[in-house]
Amino acid sequence: MHKIWNFHGGVHPNENKTQSNQLPIVVMPTPKQLVLPLSQHIGKAAKAIVEPGDYVLKGQLIASAQGFISANIHAPSSGHVSAIVERTLPHQSALSGPCIIIDTDGKDQWVELNPPTNPEYLSKQELLNLIHAAGITGMGGASFPSTVKLQLKSDIHTLIINAAECEPYITADDRLMREYADQIIASIQLLQQLLGHPQCLIGIEDNKPEAIAALNLALSHNIGQHTNIEVCVIPTKYPSGGEKQLIEILTGHQVPHGGIPANIGIVCQNVGTVKAIFDAIFKGQPLIKRITTVTGKAAANAGNYEVLIGTQVEDLLAFANVDMAKTSRLVMGGPMMGFTIQDTQTPLVKGSNCILAAADLELAPVADHHACIRCGQCEVACPVDLLPQQLFWFAKAEEFEKAEDHNLSDCIECGACAWVCPSQIPLVQYYRYAKGRVKSLASEAHIAELSRIRFESREQRLINDKLAKEEKRKNRAVAAAAAQAAKRAANPNAEDPIAAALARVNAQKQAKEADAAPKSHAEIYKELKTAAAITRTKLNKTSKALANAQTKDHELAQDLQASVSELTAKAVEAQAKLQAYEAKLGLDPEKEKILLVAVAKTNATIRKLEKTLATAEDAQALEEEITQAKAAHQIAAQALADHQVTPTAKPASAQES
Amino acid sequence: MQTFYLAIVILALLAIVFGAILGFAAIRFKVDGDPIVDQIDNLLPQTQCGQCGHPGCKPYAEAIANGEAINRCPPGGETTIKALADLLDLEAIPLDAEHGTEAIRTIAYIREDECIGCTKCIQACPVDAILGAAKQMHTVIIDECTGCDLCLEPCPVDCIDMIPIDVTPISWHWQQPEQLIATSSLPHSHGESHHA
Repeated sequence: MHKIWNFHGGVHPNENKTQSNQLPIVVMPTPKQLVLPLSQHIGKAAKAIVEPGDYVLKGQLIASAQGFISANIHAPSSGHVSAIVERTLPHQSALSGPCIIIDTDGKDQWVELNPPTNPEYLSKQELLNLIHAAGITGMGGASFPSTVKLQLKSDIHTLIINAAECEPYITADDRLMREYADQIIASIQLLQQLLGHPQCLIGIEDNKPEAIAALNLALSHNIGQHTNIEVCVIPTKYPSGGEKQLIEILTGHQVPHGGIPANIGIVCQNVGTVKAIFDAIFKGQPLIKRITTVTGKAAANAGNYEVLIGTQVEDLLAFANVDMAKTSRLVMGGPMMGFTIQDTQTPLVKGSNCILAAADLELAPVADHHACIRCGQCEVACPVDLLPQQLFWFAKAEEFEKAEDHNLSDCIECGACAWVCPSQIPLVQYYRYAKGRVKSLASEAHIAELSRIRFESREQRLINDKLAKEEKRKNRAVAAAAAQAAKRAANPNAEDPIAAALARVNAQKQAKEADAAPKSHAEIYKELKTAAAITRTKLNKTSKALANAQTKDHELAQDLQASVSELTAKAVEAQAKLQAYEAKLGLDPEKEKILLVAVAKTNATIRKLEKTLATAEDAQALEEEITQAKAAHQIAAQALADHQVTPTAKPASAQES
Repeated sequence: MQTFYLAIVILALLAIVFGAILGFAAIRFKVDGDPIVDQIDNLLPQTQCGQCGHPGCKPYAEAIANGEAINRCPPGGETTIKALADLLDLEAIPLDAEHGTEAIRTIAYIREDECIGCTKCIQACPVDAILGAAKQMHTVIIDECTGCDLCLEPCPVDCIDMIPIDVTPISWHWQQPEQLIATSSLPHSHGESHHA
């Protein structure tokens, strides 16, 4: 007799198993329609390899595994693929996902099966390939692809078969073991062969005496051989069927935090998975069916049914005579860890072990929760040795880091703490919330880190591009200078082209000045005036630029400041030169202005009079007036001319003075 | 008297020795850059959207280290403000609406039929998440997109949409149970852990 250990905590809810475990497994006829989600396992979704309209045979591969952690999906019956559409998934979120819909034709015609003739002589890899091809995933609920667990490199000394089925109401494994014990033992021997002949412990709760007897009977058939398989009967306690709890019960070892059973040389497989592996290797059949318990007070024919994967819940409920009017709540999975489903068209998948159609008051109604009274019962009940109360406070206050420090990730969400809580606090939901937030925060942090790296490398690239451009430009300049130098070296007598050009320009200028006739005073005066105006305009423009630069605090402001002061000096100088020249010539710009105005005025008077003359009757008087005005105009014009002409008329004297 | 001088000499020697050790340590274990900037940068969402008025998260982190307000990051929202306040020992203040409001995360999607291949969005993208070439259709690498909106404005044909990220069964998670006071009799539906 194998020694049995115990794990901390655990609870004893009413078992409620007799409602469904009394009758043999009933094979449910093929439903009209099957819905197969592409993602019904942990890991990457499978990829559909059929198209709507295709005819598929029973057992034909319709979606292939993608990557290492993924599983194949096969057609559970023959028929036409009618569509690949989004349907409600059997998931807590009740979200939809892509599903292959098969309209069955009722013929249930198998694809050609090729089971190996001598499975005992297959190599490890051949066995793994067969199991992988059959799309087998853990059938206990988590749906983890089985091959991943079986091909780990570590040395396995113990194979544990999880037959505890600790959750109330569910009896699928119980009936399976009673009816297929021989197949289960045969399959276990194959797994031992695959894993290098470890010892095998079948953990089974003592509330299943018939199943224990059946297994022992099956073992006794193999009495001649050394099987190294032992049926270990363990006390009924929830959650002894948790993988890590069962390992502790059977071996006394704990799986390390964050580790997997293989770290301590153990592999754990559910008994349903073992049966599926039997079908895959001895019969060549892929995983297309499972045993599902239908139970609850609303189910008239509670019991276990062999259903095809993809059967919609409503079809199974109808077959099991579930009174929907009586059903207050439909739970997929057990009462402790299952989830409520609203959409009865939700399909059953590889991991669907139970449908609980609960009548009113069968499950405790969800009551308002009260304040935590710190009784500590949750800590006593926790099978993972956590501090549920502490985790609750952290989850409530959104202190996820602290919750993580208190090993939130080790929580198996068994619900024992919530079950014992006298304040009826939905503790598990708090932990699930906290776990979800931890996960999403981690993924956000991961995305942020990636973005940061990409942003920084982009910045670096832009800087590098700029530097490379600058470098190129510099190199070009250097090359050009070198070319010039080479040219000059080749022809050392040649002058510097720039100096030569400058000299030419200067010579031309001088020649021009020499050629030019002496300028009249008027010309010099005009030049001075123009020069003064140009410096004024330049000064204005630069001042404006300076003001602009100063308001914007531009780096060029200082340069501008310098040029403004320079220009101011130049403008003052030009103005002074102009004034000096005016003084030299005896010019008075004020007087000139007055004279100009006088000329313009007389001119205007003449115009006006002439206009009136065209239409006037008393022409004589007007003409006289015009003559007078013309005379006045002439006088004004003469005065102006005298004033202006003076410098031109006598340049010599002006220059002398 | 001799002891007195001896003490002074020993203390002076000790001071020189420890000074040398400290000096060596200061050079040998010199921290490159401003560690507080990196810490702040790690808390920012790295959207690189520029809504804070800085050309990226790192420049904003530098500005915060120099005393700028911590409430100018709409993508980070209250969570980031809280984390920054914790780090810098400041008061958590509400988000500055002038710089935008907290919205659900979106990603850019290019309507590929309408794209004319102008590469303007590629140049605008701060994380190089857009793939394409001149006169070739462009597309967004959704895993790399931060949802910063910076590609929308330069697009001459307005063929870029910001679409919210779908919740998948993998990204979905439970919400916190509703907080009802004990005496409330309102019906509510939480908790999947039932009594048998």
